[in-house]
Amino acid sequence: MKKLNNIGMKGMKYISLPVILLAFLLASCQDLIDLKPYSQIDENAAFSTPSLIELSVVGMYQAAQRGDYGGNLRGYPWGAAFVQQGDCRGEDMVNTATFYQLTYTNTYDPTTANNVWWWSDSYRLINRCNIVLEGVQKAADQGIITQAKADQYKGEALLFRAITHFELLIHFARPWKHTADASHPGVPYRTTPYTTAASLEEGIAQGRNTVAECYQKVLADLDQAEQLLPTRAQRGTGKAGLVRSVKQAAAAFKTRVYLHKYDWAKVIEEGSKFLTGGVYAGSYQIEADPGTPFMDSYGNKESIFSLENSGTNNPGVNAALASQYKRRLLVCISPIIWRDPAWLSDDKRRLTTTEATLATNQLVYVSNGRMYTNKYKDVTNYTDASPLIRYAEVVLNMAEAYTRLDPTGTPDANALALLNQVRNRSLADPSTQAYTAGNFATNVELLGAILKERRIEFVGEGRRWPDIHRLQFCPYYPIDGIPQKVANGNPAASAFTLGTPYTGPYGVTAIPYSDFRFLWPIPRVETDANPTLAAQQNPGW
Amino acid sequence: MKKILLFLLLAVINTGLIMAQTVQITGTVTSSEDNSPMPGVSVVVKGTTIGTITDAQGKYVLNAPANAQALLFSFVGYKTVDVPIEGRTKIDQVLELDVFKVDEIVVVGYGVQKKSEVTGAISSIKGESLASLATPSFDAQLAGRSSGVQITQQTGVLGEAPRLRIRGIGSISSGNYPLVVVDGVPILTGDLGGYASTNALADINPADIESMEILKDGSATAIYGSRASAGVILITTKRGVQGASKMKLAYNNYFGYAAPVNLFDLLNAEQFVLINNEKRSQRGQAAIAFSDGTAFPGRTFDTDWQRAVLRERAFQMDHNLSLTGATETSSYYFSLGYSDQDGVTRPNQMQRYTARANLDQKVKNWLTIGTSIGLTQTEYSGLNTGTNALSGNIFSAIRQHPNVPIYNPDHPTGYNIDLTNPDYVGRWNNVESIGDNLPNIVYVIDKNVYTSRVLRTLGNVYAQFKLLPFLNFKTQLGIDGSKTDGFLYWNPTHGDGKSVNGRVQNNFSNNLRWNIQNILTFNKTFFSDHNLMITLVNETQFQRSQSFNAVGTDLSNEFFSKNIISGTVGTMSVGGGMSESGFISYAGRLNYNYKGKYFLQGSLRYDGISALPPANKWGLFPGGSVGWTVTKEPFMSGIVNVVSDLKLRASYAQVGNVSIGTYPYLGLYGSAKYADYNGIAFSQMGNDQLRWETSKKFDIGFDALLFDGKYKFAFDYYNNDQDGLILAAPIPNSLGVPGNSISKNIGALRNWGYEFSGEAYIIRKKDFSWSIDANLTLARNEVVSLVNHQDITYENVIVREKESIYSIYGYVYLGVNKANGMPMYKKGDGSVIQGNMANSTYYYYMPDNPTAFTTSTTLSATADKVIFGPSLPTYFGGVNSKVNFKGFDFTVMFRYSGGNYVMNATRRDLVNLNFVNNGKEILGRWKSVDEPGDGWTPKLWYQGNTFVNLTGHATSRFIEKGDFIKLQTLTLGYTFPKQLLRRAGIDNLRIFAQGQDILMITKYTGIDPEMETTGTDLNGTPRQKVITFGINLTL
Repeated sequence: MKKLNNIGMKGMKYISLPVILLAFLLASCQDLIDLKPYSQIDENAAFSTPSLIELSVVGMYQAAQRGDYGGNLRGYPWGAAFVQQGDCRGEDMVNTATFYQLTYTNTYDPTTANNVWWWSDSYRLINRCNIVLEGVQKAADQGIITQAKADQYKGEALLFRAITHFELLIHFARPWKHTADASHPGVPYRTTPYTTAASLEEGIAQGRNTVAECYQKVLADLDQAEQLLPTRAQRGTGKAGLVRSVKQAAAAFKTRVYLHKYDWAKVIEEGSKFLTGGVYAGSYQIEADPGTPFMDSYGNKESIFSLENSGTNNPGVNAALASQYKRRLLVCISPIIWRDPAWLSDDKRRLTTTEATLATNQLVYVSNGRMYTNKYKDVTNYTDASPLIRYAEVVLNMAEAYTRLDPTGTPDANALALLNQVRNRSLADPSTQAYTAGNFATNVELLGAILKERRIEFVGEGRRWPDIHRLQFCPYYPIDGIPQKVANGNPAASAFTLGTPYTGPYGVTAIPYSDFRFLWPIPRVETDANPTLAAQQNPGW
Repeated sequence: MKKILLFLLLAVINTGLIMAQTVQITGTVTSSEDNSPMPGVSVVVKGTTIGTITDAQGKYVLNAPANAQALLFSFVGYKTVDVPIEGRTKIDQVLELDVFKVDEIVVVGYGVQKKSEVTGAISSIKGESLASLATPSFDAQLAGRSSGVQITQQTGVLGEAPRLRIRGIGSISSGNYPLVVVDGVPILTGDLGGYASTNALADINPADIESMEILKDGSATAIYGSRASAGVILITTKRGVQGASKMKLAYNNYFGYAAPVNLFDLLNAEQFVLINNEKRSQRGQAAIAFSDGTAFPGRTFDTDWQRAVLRERAFQMDHNLSLTGATETSSYYFSLGYSDQDGVTRPNQMQRYTARANLDQKVKNWLTIGTSIGLTQTEYSGLNTGTNALSGNIFSAIRQHPNVPIYNPDHPTGYNIDLTNPDYVGRWNNVESIGDNLPNIVYVIDKNVYTSRVLRTLGNVYAQFKLLPFLNFKTQLGIDGSKTDGFLYWNPTHGDGKSVNGRVQNNFSNNLRWNIQNILTFNKTFFSDHNLMITLVNETQFQRSQSFNAVGTDLSNEFFSKNIISGTVGTMSVGGGMSESGFISYAGRLNYNYKGKYFLQGSLRYDGISALPPANKWGLFPGGSVGWTVTKEPFMSGIVNVVSDLKLRASYAQVGNVSIGTYPYLGLYGSAKYADYNGIAFSQMGNDQLRWETSKKFDIGFDALLFDGKYKFAFDYYNNDQDGLILAAPIPNSLGVPGNSISKNIGALRNWGYEFSGEAYIIRKKDFSWSIDANLTLARNEVVSLVNHQDITYENVIVREKESIYSIYGYVYLGVNKANGMPMYKKGDGSVIQGNMANSTYYYYMPDNPTAFTTSTTLSATADKVIFGPSLPTYFGGVNSKVNFKGFDFTVMFRYSGGNYVMNATRRDLVNLNFVNNGKEILGRWKSVDEPGDGWTPKLWYQGNTFVNLTGHATSRFIEKGDFIKLQTLTLGYTFPKQLLRRAGIDNLRIFAQGQDILMITKYTGIDPEMETTGTDLNGTPRQKVITFGINLTL
């Protein structure tokens, strides 16, 4: 017990040691809680240098190419989903498994993931556009980048903002003609960036714009984008001018929007820019072989705007077009269009392959006797471009507009020429099979051929639903609601035998235009959090 | 400081004076149990700090002051005795075993306390009660052992961490995991990386655990301030007992087998053909399922894919060797552990190598230094258990066609792979290939690789200074480092890897946390009745997490499948990230009691963390409690024979939650790559107003001992109000902000409940004893407030104000319309509707014309769903019985839980209408008006799954109650007689057989109602039941 004595002065210096240590810690460690992230950039620095600004603009394309799907990055809205949803809402492709079944069988509801993420990712892209619009102008004002550079970036943002709102209209709003002045509800057209808590209130207060207002804003944005964007030649005629937007893309999208607006003269006006004498004359052409735009999806002269997919950044096994449409065989061409007599049996677009190689111009892939599209070929790295718009559509849009100007008149020569421009390249023997004025009594008959041609030419490109949507009020070829479809599932191989038109059975019954299911519901996650839109839900949902 | 030094000096002089006149007292201490000498017994002169410890022979020599009155003999687990000296110089003492452990020591935050002085709600669990149980991690075995604590092992996959809830769910968007502290150091929890699931708590060898304390209420947790909202688990590892010089070598092992607790009741080949062709025929389609056919004539099969994926005899073994001992001034505990466990699903496996060294050295009488070091390497083999993944083990196994073989010797791979569509399992004689595009799951499981290897260092060094007899200072540096490397390989020929022509991935993650604590403890009794203890704490902590990974696809050859090999992949990418977090804290605690009768505790903690904005980084967390030992009052003296001890206690505290992410308050831009072009984009919405989540914990309860401790009883009522919860507040998706949310302090939750626990020593004789302990918790949860009162909805559950969090939410199913086999539902307005499979449309049901589809309607996700009940159990607990008869010991533990609902989505998958196998429930389907089936299962309709079974929504067709009782453990052991063993130089030898999870009583129709995640049971790997045999040997 004597040892207790040792705690004298000798021990004190040991004792003082931790005391000093303690004091040291008390004084010096505030740094421990003043930390900054390493993996992400502070929002205040995001538009502070030209290179960071360029990165933010690219980030906008990323939102277009690969939207968020519950934590995964899938192809919403422009990387793949617009094709898959556009096809599966129509009758010309068959969903064979579960993947797009709710879309295909019209059994979606406000919680269906495909609709929810469509809505959500479209607005995610739109917000990034608005952030870029604001950020680049501020940067230009501060002299960080030139006004010219800012203008180019703004053009890119405006184009995405316009076409994305327009695509939302096609799914969530009734078509232009639904009311005489298009005063029925469209979608909220967002032009404010939402980056701070304070800005949210205003956004929530904003209700749905009318369809007329939306079209006006879409077109205004496209007009301005066309002014601000560089031309394809300025961007570079190869991939560079294809996977980032150009003036021509804005004009091409306008032909699509005006077609939906039944504004035929403007379709022709915008489309004519691409023809001889037009400002964009010669920038694109209809490729001689219908397979070329897909065999060489980045180098062809027909694609106007496509999103790029790379081996390491693509919509992935659960969304990439080559994965879903080819390798996994989740969606096949429907016997309805496959057996349509207007699609000639020796049409080059029927050429089939069973090869999984990339360098084939055949557009149809056969498996188990069923026909799948071969437009998207890279089943290993999913690098096929995602085709937003190609010149063939501009040509057919114009052809249709010409027939509509004088429906009862004799076939319009321009319309016929334009139609043949797209169709003849696919014919086995254009000299005997090409359409002539003699094939049609009136423009209406010619219009019928053009509409059918669109279904054949764009099969597997997601264009069917937009056409169904706008044709609801077509005086000549009206579609009532959502057409009946072949049953969800693998059709028998025999269902693809040519010779007779497909007459059934139809496993998915038609839904009339009057039915509320014609429109997608505003998602529940939206209406739960947004009282304004909750009060403006599409009726019936 | 000078005053303290002076005081110190005076104290030393004073001590010296007392030491001047002494009397030497000697003696031997023995145990009443077997009369053996007891080493390590503390012998102290009453009222002083003068004392010593008995040696290996139980002998002691003590120099007592001449005026000493009595000696106190104490030893853990034995009754402390107070022996008057009465002038004697030789005092031999027999110590009696303290059966009822009245004066047990419990570990509390930054110190220890006598159980009798604790005024908070703390559950203590002895390490020995878990030591021999076959288990991947000790946390799983805490289930049922203490009230208020709910632990659920949701799957049988080794490496998947159990869910821990202490007094309910305390947060909606943020972390909900208790703080786990090992030997004073807060450790990393959760998954530590790699490609197979890893559980950070599995790196602790259960055999090294001396005790576990679960701090539940505000008073007990308040000292952990900002980190305490989900409760705290304190783990103390074994150490040598100073003074006990006898070295003890222990070797323990077990060997055994694990099996799934249950299997799915799937259709056999014959039933499969019948049902699947009926799916087709009811829809007017041709048959597609054939057992025999032209493709492989005469080669018929009845394959059990489930058994091909699961192991019904998974071998598990565990070995532990430990060495404990001490000298007068040092003590040590060394251990080595090895565990090798096969999981119930192939190829799941876990191997763990552990080493631990805990040392304490008394350098001077006033200085002790020590260290605790645990080194672990844990290796896991995992697999794809995706509940909705084509290669998910259970998702796939329950769908595979039973009429096709697993292997096909004619196929180049040797497996049955479809000849036309090599992505799919072979169709064999069926006309179509399998629905849902499934690969051959056995091929996938055999070929694909998912591994994780965790190297974990858990350690601390400390120095403890006895500044004064009543003043201690301890400084401690703790480290928790984990380095995890993972490897993943997907075979290019078939399965997930086919799409990208093979995939290899390596990843590495490195987490390093250091933690420094300085603790000053003052402990003194004034005027013999006023006991005061003050604890001051300064703690700092810093953590850095770094990771990187490399991914290669498009393999040049299958050969390169053991690691990423340079130049062997066509497409490659890399990734990585880094984050840091820091924490500074000051805390103080005061404990005061008067005569051990009135207790008062108060604590205050001031914490700063890096995760909050500058203005709100610091938070103050107060706590307090009071206790009253009623039985020490004179007026109780009449009934002390009945109520021997009764303590009332109450506590209140405010604590916080730091599991809120790294920088939740900052507006951030993260990487956003478009094709091969680098980009960035808005990735997190900032909120510079973010502040602490606080949990206000109130507790009132009592502890009682009846009949001299023969019966123990404890009761607690608790109420936790969680305010200012950081919610990922939903922002309308149409504003397009990242994650459609912003972190905001807006939610509020309330958890409250009643906890009961009791212990009874029914028989206590020399050769025969029997005790039972039991606990029951009645728990409730309520969501108090949400953003703008808006519901947060999920697929099967809802978070809604005034309801229990994650309540089961879905459609009301009314069974089958017997007239046509269509499913019927009740709408929110009470009307009855039926779904027409032919056009996937709902129509109002007209009883007088039940087959008519006249007026169409909808089943609205907003208007027609109802809340069925909570997904959180409202009652749970356990009952444990221990019998010792001569050398035999027999333990049975039951665990029960209930009051919750489970959406049995696995069951919905088992009535899938695609071309896949089903469970036997589908045999009850409506076939015709004459054969209406069980009235619950609608007509079959090929590929009508989304409409007929309402995938994507909960419906009462599949919602079930989650009540159960389980036989958790059953142990039979035999300890050889000591006399026999002594001759062989053996201290103790016990052999035992044990069963875990071997019986369950429940009405739940799935594998196990505990296999739910947020109320949904979906395609989980069955939990394991284990039978083991082993020995415990001490030399």
